Amino acid sequence: MKKQYSIFTSWRHFKHLFKKPLTIPFTEIFTKKNADYLNKNSILKSKKNVECSSPRVGADNLRGFHTNDWEVCIGCGTCEDICPTEAINMVERLDIKDEEGKLQQRPTIDYGRCCFCALCVDICTSDSLKMSKEYVYSHEDPNAFEIMPEALWQGQAVEEGWTKTEASNLLDLERIDMEHEDPEERKSSFIEIVRGYSKEYAKQEAARCVECGVCTGSCPVQMHIPAYIKAIWEDDIEGGLRQIYETNPLPGVCGRVCTHNCETACSIAVKGEAIAIRWLKRYIIDSAPTDMYEKILSEPVSEVIDARVAVVGAGPAGLGAAYYLKVMGYKVDVYEEKPMSGGVMRYGIPSYRLPDSAIDKDIDFIEKIGVKMILNTRVGRDISMEKLEKDYDAVFLGTGFFKPRTLGIPGGDHKDVIGAMTFLPQVRDFERRVLKLEDIDVAKSVVVIGGGDVAFDVARSATRLQMLKYGKSDVKLTSLENEDQLPSSDDELIEGSEEGIELFCGNGPQEVMIKNNKVTGLRLWKCLCIFDEAGSFNPEYDKECEQIIEGQQVYIAIGQSPDYDYIPKSLQGKLQFVRGKIAADEFGQVKDLPWLFVGGDILRGPDLISGVADGHRAAQGIDEYLYTNAKKKEASDTLKEMRLAAKAQTPGLTFRQK
Amino acid sequence: MKEMKLFLGPQHPGMHGNASVHIYVDGDIIKKSFLLPGMLHRGFEKGMERHSWVNNISLIPRVCVVEPDTNEMAFAMAVEMLAKLEVPERAHWIRMIILELARLSIHLMAYGGLGSPTGLYTMMYHAHTDRNTILNIFEKITGHRVYHQYIVPGGVRKDLPVGIEKDIHSFLDDLESRYEEYRDLGINNPTIQARINDTIPLPAEVVWELGVTGIGMRSAVNKPYDLRKVKPYARYDQVEFDVPVAPYSDAYARVDCKLQEVVQSIGIIRQCLAKMPEGDVRVPISRGQAMRWTVPKGHVYACVESSRGEFGYFMVSDGGTNPYRVGVRGASYPQGLLGIEKYLPGTRLDDAALWVDTMGVCSPEIDR
Amino acid sequence: MTNSMSNTEFVTNLVESKFKVLSTEVLDKYQVSFEVKKEDVHSLLSLLKTSGWIQLSYLSAVDWPNDNEFELVYIVFNWDKAVHIQIRCRLDRETASMNSILPIFPGCKYYEREAHEFFGIKFPGNPDHEKQLILEEWDDIPPLRKDFDPRAYSDRKFSKMEYKNDFVNKNGEVSKQDARTKRYDDIDKLRTGGKK
Repeated sequence: MKKQYSIFTSWRHFKHLFKKPLTIPFTEIFTKKNADYLNKNSILKSKKNVECSSPRVGADNLRGFHTNDWEVCIGCGTCEDICPTEAINMVERLDIKDEEGKLQQRPTIDYGRCCFCALCVDICTSDSLKMSKEYVYSHEDPNAFEIMPEALWQGQAVEEGWTKTEASNLLDLERIDMEHEDPEERKSSFIEIVRGYSKEYAKQEAARCVECGVCTGSCPVQMHIPAYIKAIWEDDIEGGLRQIYETNPLPGVCGRVCTHNCETACSIAVKGEAIAIRWLKRYIIDSAPTDMYEKILSEPVSEVIDARVAVVGAGPAGLGAAYYLKVMGYKVDVYEEKPMSGGVMRYGIPSYRLPDSAIDKDIDFIEKIGVKMILNTRVGRDISMEKLEKDYDAVFLGTGFFKPRTLGIPGGDHKDVIGAMTFLPQVRDFERRVLKLEDIDVAKSVVVIGGGDVAFDVARSATRLQMLKYGKSDVKLTSLENEDQLPSSDDELIEGSEEGIELFCGNGPQEVMIKNNKVTGLRLWKCLCIFDEAGSFNPEYDKECEQIIEGQQVYIAIGQSPDYDYIPKSLQGKLQFVRGKIAADEFGQVKDLPWLFVGGDILRGPDLISGVADGHRAAQGIDEYLYTNAKKKEASDTLKEMRLAAKAQTPGLTFRQK
Repeated sequence: MKEMKLFLGPQHPGMHGNASVHIYVDGDIIKKSFLLPGMLHRGFEKGMERHSWVNNISLIPRVCVVEPDTNEMAFAMAVEMLAKLEVPERAHWIRMIILELARLSIHLMAYGGLGSPTGLYTMMYHAHTDRNTILNIFEKITGHRVYHQYIVPGGVRKDLPVGIEKDIHSFLDDLESRYEEYRDLGINNPTIQARINDTIPLPAEVVWELGVTGIGMRSAVNKPYDLRKVKPYARYDQVEFDVPVAPYSDAYARVDCKLQEVVQSIGIIRQCLAKMPEGDVRVPISRGQAMRWTVPKGHVYACVESSRGEFGYFMVSDGGTNPYRVGVRGASYPQGLLGIEKYLPGTRLDDAALWVDTMGVCSPEIDR
Repeated sequence: MTNSMSNTEFVTNLVESKFKVLSTEVLDKYQVSFEVKKEDVHSLLSLLKTSGWIQLSYLSAVDWPNDNEFELVYIVFNWDKAVHIQIRCRLDRETASMNSILPIFPGCKYYEREAHEFFGIKFPGNPDHEKQLILEEWDDIPPLRKDFDPRAYSDRKFSKMEYKNDFVNKNGEVSKQDARTKRYDDIDKLRTGGKK
């Protein structure tokens, strides 16, 4: 039952009359800037000027106005995508330096829409966008509420409020694990190491992508990476395949052995592990059935232009050029010296990284659309360059670097000092059962010189052959660079070490030790620096720090050089060579010889995907050279569209190539 | 006397939020009345279908302005049920602290709000000052004072800031020390008692007809029908608290229950602070970046005990990145719409505002 | 076995023994959902009400335009056996109509009115169900239907805010952002074979 209280019970509250009020005076809430603005424009009705005495400071975690450090910001636009109120707009700023892994755009925020949820901060890929403790801002002009956040708020340094923490982070920074073959088992065979993603894992990995497109600019062929990753995420293999073939005719190969500059540029890699772009591409190719390929090109490509193009060398650059020329409607013949097309893909890279089946899938499609492969035909031996010039309207050279570079050290000319490009084709032939194990001369202990991917290919192939031959392996690898600066990819270093390759990095070879006409080892000096002050290659050694590593064979993988013997002397006279490469314009067209185009290693290098890009650019150049003069060029609307698309997708040069 | 039509709200000290009660009176006796919602309608249910799971956290607290946290909690629970997420242990306890602080704040506000229809504004100032202290605590924990956007599917967005326990304890101690003062000012005040005793009673059988929940129901049926007890969520099964009940629901009983719940909430927060383990506070809904989070297909209904009763989210997912359909059961929907239509006629005009206040009619959650 | 586990079992047995249930799902120990035929809803709700599920917690609809159906959902609760029961049934979308449950749960009055306003489902038996409730002078299809596009509606009804600030700095070059956007749009169109 309710108790009866005296009417005076509530009078005890009178004691609060004498307490200090908790209210904050109006004149104390403004920052100086706001106070000045209000005073100057006499916005306040009261005569009294407001002063910036002691504005209340927000809590440490306050979601106040944004700050964005432009130096750190990469312009990925993820904040724009996540903003629930569409308050954020990415604005183009071409005055910012154009760099790899960054886009020249920065966010603006409309504070008329912003709800201060801080999702933009929590998903920021570079952690540049933060929120400050500032929460007071006033202006009479509504447009003044659209603000481009910078490191300073209204020109003043302010205290940090809400920032991203591990708990509030909305990105997925960890890569989905890829299953690899066990090191102990894989080193005794040439089976492919990376098993590839299952559908579930591929979708999970694809879900990590924020679709910023920062990667596209660093890809030599400028693949539509965010688009096909999105296709994987939405489980649309066919759509993804179409998007891939728009820019890359060798996706199955690139999905395995590409140098993946895209993953270095990836915006997720700023704070975490990059999206496994390469493996996702491979997933599309691996899971696309052959009959799906037929749907990519909506109509069989017929020759609509009466011009003929010869491509010399069926490597990445040659195949790239051939594919795009064919799509544009030209007749293309590819000449290849070896019995199989693919160049370095077939004869350089070992099959535990790139099995033949993957190469076949890509090249079969190129042949299927009508590119003619003329194998076992060396230009300069079986067919002359002059004949090519006469029979064809344009010639593309993509012959690559296949000749081993030699070491100018004592003992370097011994027969047991073997070049990488002599050894690796043998390995591939062994895998194809063209050669038998006995035919390949691999000693019980070998030393490999070089620190690039090719050096690891040699070392790891030698390991496998030793395992097969002797049941145990003994491979040492030495390079000028230290272990943390090796030019090879990290995968090679990790996997190679797992397979038991001993590393002697940071040493320069001085002499191949020979005893009784047999190689016994290699003398090394500690390498102090590789380049001199001018930046040219001029290694300096510490003679005191010498070691000799034992080995019965020495493999040299310090780079390859071109072989221009097939070009007649008369023609060579008209070419300009720069450090072994042929000088040409952006599209590979040789000056003074408008019918001659070059690409790949002999133009630009250094990797497979750059070769494909050169091929694509050359196709564009050849088209511009031939199309205007071609007599026959009527085509169906679909073919016209394909022509335009192929030309529109021609990649520009990447940051590294510029 | 001639029948007249009057409007209570949208601008009225006794009306909470922008809704209007249309009242037909004969003298000061209400003959007919109904609520006209719609002035706050923002299409939230449609909006939620068009925002991703993570983006929605900026929308949901706005469903009920004064008590955003129950919305966040019910939404998060629905997503967690769909995705079968295991929320980290510490997050459960943090959530309970937030929810109980929110309950304190809204009970204080409602108690202060009682000041306007009864004309005792001192109560309002006191209550709002204390609410302000709670908002300061919220600002420190969540980064915002009102729309916290803090309880998210999978846990809470950030761990508690260092030293916040001290702030909470000192606030609770202070509130507790002045609790009797609060009672003396309001419901122990004979003037107020005279005003709210026996005013707009709510018989038990009407409760079920209207579908009223929360304090309105508990004070009528005299049973501890509180979702925190009946189907405990978070870790309410691991704290001790009583559910205040009353056998006869008039304005006095409802206000009395609210004040008793204040004491219970203080107790719950103290237990949470004592029992809270260390650890993670959030798990992602699924792998991938937030905009590509997906939630498995399903239909679920998740509800929490808000200060006004059962606050529920009915949620349908089609396996995509956005909810397929979200339906919000506003806690004050029954008493706000049907209650006003069916139950106000026969009472006095000046009691309408008391109904709105003591039953906690919140127009934004009716409109959505 | 805990007491609450038996609650869901109790409900499942009770409902499945008397009605043809299209699908049953026990979501957790406090919630069960039944999909039933439209004709069974009233008798099922009556049965549940007499068995203690005296509170109607929620009533609303879901639009499934691909199936050309609406899905009605009734959620009832029993405070003594704490189980929320979802009763769902499908209605034809073109002639959507469902007899009101007003005689069973008077509290449904406004829920049904709202469902009519937002989905266009008729509830014969509920006298006010066609009166407007929240949307004043609404002049389009019921807005919670999936084919209602709020963005198109607001573009039609309201003027767009123009941003007057010019933060763009192209440095005298051709826009790269536009080129990126165009490239992305083009490549997006290529995916005709797949889903949207």
